[in-house]
Amino acid sequence: MIKRTLPKYFWPSILTFLVSLLMLFPIIWLFFSSFKQTGELFSYPLALLPSEWTPSHYFKVVGDGFFVYVFNSLFLAVVGTAITLIISAMCGYALAIYRFEVSYTNLIFGIFLLGTLIPGETLTVPIVVVISELGLYNNIWGVILPVVTTTTGIFMFRQHYLSIPLSFVEAARIDGSNEAQTFFYVMLPLGTSSIVTLTIFSFMWRWNDYILPLLVLSDQKKYTIQIAIKNYIGFNGVDWSSILAASVMSIIPIIILFIILQRYIIGGLSASGVKG
Amino acid sequence: MKTPYVKRHVTAFWFFIAPCLILFSVFFLLPLCLSVGLSLTNYDGWKTMDFIGLHNYTELVRDSKFYDALGRTFGYTLFSLPFKVIVPLLIAILVTSKRVAIKGLARTMVYVPSLLSHLVVGITINWMFSAEYGLVNYLIGTIGGEPMQWALNPRLATFVISFASNWASTGFYMVIFIGGITNISSDIYEAAAIDGSSPVQTFFHMTLPMLAPTTFLVTLLSTVNLLKEYALVQGITQGGPGLNTTFIIQFIFDKGFNQMQYGYASAISLLVMIIFAFIAFVQFKISNGGDK
Repeated sequence: MIKRTLPKYFWPSILTFLVSLLMLFPIIWLFFSSFKQTGELFSYPLALLPSEWTPSHYFKVVGDGFFVYVFNSLFLAVVGTAITLIISAMCGYALAIYRFEVSYTNLIFGIFLLGTLIPGETLTVPIVVVISELGLYNNIWGVILPVVTTTTGIFMFRQHYLSIPLSFVEAARIDGSNEAQTFFYVMLPLGTSSIVTLTIFSFMWRWNDYILPLLVLSDQKKYTIQIAIKNYIGFNGVDWSSILAASVMSIIPIIILFIILQRYIIGGLSASGVKG
Repeated sequence: MKTPYVKRHVTAFWFFIAPCLILFSVFFLLPLCLSVGLSLTNYDGWKTMDFIGLHNYTELVRDSKFYDALGRTFGYTLFSLPFKVIVPLLIAILVTSKRVAIKGLARTMVYVPSLLSHLVVGITINWMFSAEYGLVNYLIGTIGGEPMQWALNPRLATFVISFASNWASTGFYMVIFIGGITNISSDIYEAAAIDGSSPVQTFFHMTLPMLAPTTFLVTLLSTVNLLKEYALVQGITQGGPGLNTTFIIQFIFDKGFNQMQYGYASAISLLVMIIFAFIAFVQFKISNGGDK
């Protein structure tokens, strides 16, 4: 029988590939659609590939000032992620390393855990009030500062530093390094795997942030990509040709980052400070 | 222990904790207290802020639109939840199977939709489901069916939102399930194989029970995420037709930021917060935290 000549992983692999392709398909469809001419977008029969490739929707979106929004989103994502990394690492480190010397570390960790129990969406109204009272309305810092503290990040670093023997810290102290030096020069570099993981997630969260930028940024020059995309949805319907191109442009950086850092995560997990 | 030594470490502890603690206090603990305070006022986000006692709450319990929004949210959550848990589980089993050759590629392909913003997820799926010149209606047409009014029929609109939400979350929950599956010791599989257990028996009597904690985690996470669905809906129906896909978070935002009833919106927020916490607590109790 022919079936016997096929390796036993043939059919399961085909099935898996088809399922994965189905999952990816909406993005593929979006991508090719964004290069179709407006007339082709709204006429039957539909085809996967554009009959005539055109970048005109991209030119239109760029003409609408898209790179200003890209810059704003990059600023939000890069600065927000940098702050998240450093403060989460400091906080998670302190909660792990001083657990025997400071008796209330668990109480403070418990307070941070509240952040995961209560969905931020249910606090949006008072958060916007606080942002306004601090004079951060229509200011990019008004969408950065409220979101940089993430319990996920603190938790990640706390777990990481709990797994590192305290003897690392003791050795640094005996060598005469003060607490800040110990953290920045000895312990922080040991947190690479957590740093990379949190970088991907934080960058993605900030790049995709929607609710706060929508509510806090009122000046069009300060809009982030997500808000710019949202504005192609009008009262009279959706400006499809523009929104397809804008959506594709918003996806590309995050996919590139994911592809680059995916390798580092796999490498980072096997790297360890303690050698056998 | 020497006191100055420990004292210096306590100072260092607070120095390391300070940035997170300050930001968390200002943008989480303070708003939490503020939402209690505001819910007792008629604050309009501008000038008026009078203490009106429990008036917002008495109004809330009589607000039929609030119950409608809450009911819609629950219906949507209950309908979507099984798919949110089962689809990623099945895919995770595929991409951890010994009989699949392209695990890495498949995992990446399934994960990519999780990278998109909820707004773009909504737009991407909406584009496929648009009533005229949408791919889905075109495919229905080619097999001889009638085109469906995805955006105008409340049930169909809810289905499209649910579809989009499932599509976007599958990759993330798949990764959680992969973690759970790889944590199961391969010894017990060998033991089962020696005892003559079929793959189906192994799945239902071993894999599934051993995955209970993971399944609980995914169920809990998806429930909360479904209850607070918002940005995705903005990319598809914006809450329509009428108010038929206006879920509870959008209901709060409409009251607060569109109708400028900050006080009333705070009262709803607080109640919704308690309801969400209660649902999570009940799930936790029912499943015993996922432990067998």
